[in-house]
Amino acid sequence: MRQISIILNLWKATVIQAMEYRASFVFSIIANFFDFVFGLLQYLVFFTAAKSIAGWESDQMLVLYGVFMLVFALHFILLYPNLVAMGDMVNSGNLDLLLTKPINSQLVISFRRISLEELGSLGTAMLLLGWQIYRGIIVFDVGNFALFAVSMISSLLLVYCVFLLLISLAVIMERLDNMSQLLWSLFALCRYPNDIYPDRIRYAFISFLPVAFIATVPASVLLGRSDSAIVWQGFVLAAAAVLFCTWLWQRAIKAYTSAGG
Amino acid sequence: MNIFAASGKLEVLAAYFKIILTYRGMLLIHGLRLLLLPMVLASAWLSIEKTPGNPYGDSDYLLYYLLVPLIMNLTDSRIVFKFSLAVKDGSLNRDLLKPFPPLLGYLLESIANNALQLVYLIPFSFAFWLFVRDRIVLTHLQPSLLLFFLIAIIVGWLARLVVSGSIALFSFWIEDVTTLNLVLNGGIWALLGGMIVPVATFPEKIRYIAGLLPYRYMLSFPIEIFSGRLSTAEIYQGFVTAIMWIVLFSVIMRIIWKSGLKTYTAYGG
Repeated sequence: MRQISIILNLWKATVIQAMEYRASFVFSIIANFFDFVFGLLQYLVFFTAAKSIAGWESDQMLVLYGVFMLVFALHFILLYPNLVAMGDMVNSGNLDLLLTKPINSQLVISFRRISLEELGSLGTAMLLLGWQIYRGIIVFDVGNFALFAVSMISSLLLVYCVFLLLISLAVIMERLDNMSQLLWSLFALCRYPNDIYPDRIRYAFISFLPVAFIATVPASVLLGRSDSAIVWQGFVLAAAAVLFCTWLWQRAIKAYTSAGG
Repeated sequence: MNIFAASGKLEVLAAYFKIILTYRGMLLIHGLRLLLLPMVLASAWLSIEKTPGNPYGDSDYLLYYLLVPLIMNLTDSRIVFKFSLAVKDGSLNRDLLKPFPPLLGYLLESIANNALQLVYLIPFSFAFWLFVRDRIVLTHLQPSLLLFFLIAIIVGWLARLVVSGSIALFSFWIEDVTTLNLVLNGGIWALLGGMIVPVATFPEKIRYIAGLLPYRYMLSFPIEIFSGRLSTAEIYQGFVTAIMWIVLFSVIMRIIWKSGLKTYTAYGG
């Protein structure tokens, strides 16, 4: 409970900080909205020369895009600002200060900051999905929606694992520079359904490189095209990955001998 | 234009080569990111059900996306990010004091940066070609076609530089030009320039519009030449359109630069 209230207070502080530059804040929301629109246009343009991609038609691709943007926006709000801050922390020595505080260091480092700039994309993604429910592309079904919730949790956990991997790397290598670009590359793999890849890569993406569970699986669940077995497989994979990455992070912190100062 | 008369161009170019080599780790990560998206798109196009009017087959798509990373990086321009940063952190003040035209510096930096991308682009493209070589036809390649291809890359690079440059120079008035760049440059480039969809596979009307805009010449045009699907007349027509855009935007850039410098009062230091 105490940990949660500390995180909430830290969030409040970052929001107040962001509000000091109100014009720039509004501007970033507009910019992110344009990003969303261009992402949407990409699919529309794509379907001028194609009828369907690996069995996914344009309406179904919009569902995939909605789910993708949901995950992307949530990552951008909750994790990304912390990733950016992490590179700085190692170089400036602030990480040492943080490690001495009587609080779970992984929790604080992961969720210290919040960025509300992607709220626009989050809202638009939900509108897009809502519209697809209204049009009957997504059929409302309690069982499916519950499964969707499970698959979304696995998806967010997997993204969190990549985040943990990157910040552990930052501690080990004592620099982060443009590692966040690696995270964006991962997202590039998720924009199109997993079914487009050749067999071997597709197999990798549902086993040891679980890229498929980030957007394709939740979207297929929403469309009622996926069985529950794959959803639970993703959940188990995600849970195992979180445990492994947490262990790795603790190892990295233990071996850390401070930099900067 | 006095910027072409400046002395010491080669020395400055060599210096830029060295600066960029210092950040080779970043170059690699940046490269990975730029290589990945074309691979994803190639996979997507290989698994589509085609619309009736689409002239491309699997081998066309493979050749197209084999060349996309190459052309995309060779015509790339980072002037939007570099210039707005220079205005913000005040390094533009320093550049203005040097006995060297600042805009020429950006041109040379772009040459150094893009040329060094070849270090990983060539091995990568070759490896990818080895994988798919029995599915790609290259028998139509002639020296004249390759010459056109090379010229088209240079023309595309110049077009990208002047269009991006014109937007970058708005940094004199606007603090953040990235949105402007996304709407007027990056976004349309991806949509109609041939990134997401090869321009030749568009329906008639969209293809016509794409041919009039400058973006096709920054990416799709050199690849279309290489694939041998354009007639000589079409190639010349493309060059004329592209060069008209380059001239137009060079003039615009010059006007913005002059009026921008008058309002510029330097911040940072």
